[in-house]
Amino acid sequence: MGILTTYNTEQELVLALKRRDNQAFSTLYDNYAGALYSIIKQIITDNAELAGDVLQEVFINIYRKIDTYDQTKGRLFTWMLNIARNASIDALRSKSYQNSQKNQSLPDNVYKVTANQSIQLNIDNIGLKKVLEKLRPEHRVLVELAYFKGFTHEEIAEMMSMPLGTVKTRIRNALLQLREYLQ
Amino acid sequence: MNIKEYIGSGIIEAYVLGLASQSERAEFEQLCAQYPELVAARREFEEGLEKHASEQAMQPPMGVKGKVLEAITGATRGASEPVSSNPPKITTVGNEKRGSSGLLRFIAAISVILLVVLAWFTYRSYKQNKDLESRNAALNEKLNATRKTLDAVVDETSIVKNPNTTVVNMVGTKVAPRSSANVYWDSTTSNVYLVVKNMPQLPSDRQYQLWALIDGKPTDLGVFDSKSDKVILKMKDTKKAQAFAITIERAGGNPTPTLDSMQSQGKTMQSQ
Repeated sequence: MGILTTYNTEQELVLALKRRDNQAFSTLYDNYAGALYSIIKQIITDNAELAGDVLQEVFINIYRKIDTYDQTKGRLFTWMLNIARNASIDALRSKSYQNSQKNQSLPDNVYKVTANQSIQLNIDNIGLKKVLEKLRPEHRVLVELAYFKGFTHEEIAEMMSMPLGTVKTRIRNALLQLREYLQ
Repeated sequence: MNIKEYIGSGIIEAYVLGLASQSERAEFEQLCAQYPELVAARREFEEGLEKHASEQAMQPPMGVKGKVLEAITGATRGASEPVSSNPPKITTVGNEKRGSSGLLRFIAAISVILLVVLAWFTYRSYKQNKDLESRNAALNEKLNATRKTLDAVVDETSIVKNPNTTVVNMVGTKVAPRSSANVYWDSTTSNVYLVVKNMPQLPSDRQYQLWALIDGKPTDLGVFDSKSDKVILKMKDTKKAQAFAITIERAGGNPTPTLDSMQSQGKTMQSQ
């Protein structure tokens, strides 16, 4: 990857970022903004302006929180990916966004709406969602709810009237299949 | 622990994708410190994920990078050198000997004024920032307190809603006809909770004491006051009870009940 031509190792890049080296940060943006924007768009599917705002917020947060990044817990990209995912889900759930999507603000509708959205998503699948396509439908919906909508296993169990154990096992199995597709 | 099985359980993927629970994360991190093969497997998945994500990269909207860099350079400059653009002008004034001294003086004066204005703006935004921060902290504190209260209420509701909970309605005795309270008793966990509906105020050296009657013998379940800020009081556990009774005792309770001060009692299903 191009980023390694300027910084020999990920560690050097992280050190430069922790020194608040703006040049390092600019390189980081050039190399990862596209990948992170893709995941943001997979979560915020129908509002490009909001997705752009979230991307901006994500990079500002990366800059602010770089000191909390711990290399023993995973790669820099993993850490950034989780920041992007959480920010996207938060944005999707924020009051102002919900209000603009009036029929989505009713909690009773949560599952129905999700089902509708996943139908829309199947039309233009991108990124990880394309991999999801390959899963069995009963697995796919669980991963969508957990990863792309940010529901907890408990919430999903209630929503789908399914035992918590089943939800957990199916998500685990689906993740293992995902892994195979990623290899 | 069979580490191979653990590696193949899907936990790596759940951890990396942020889908693992708090306790699963803690366990995973602990095991990573012990098993290098677990770390290697995690890295492998992370690299695959990163590669896939890079292949799927999308062109981000124009202008975001500019806004981000503006925000972060603003942050560093604001912190370290708030008036960095002005000092060079002042040194020029000192070094420059030729030229119109009137113009130089004018420039110097403008520079000083600009400096003061800039410093004032910096100070004002700093103050506003501080102010917002403290207001934010106060709000957070309030939110936490409210959340705590709400959690407590939810916990209490779950006791009442639990299908294993038996409600024992305790009615007043001849001595105290208007005293009443409910015992919520979960016979599977033996937990006993008390909801005081109406118990008259007692002198400060007296307290109410709850008893369980087990095979005719009273067993102490703890003392309580007529007024409490909690709606539901957690009393001592009991597995068996044919009836519950409340008496007035000295503060702190007595080992055996003073039966003529019996305030109210109620029988359970086990009494039939």
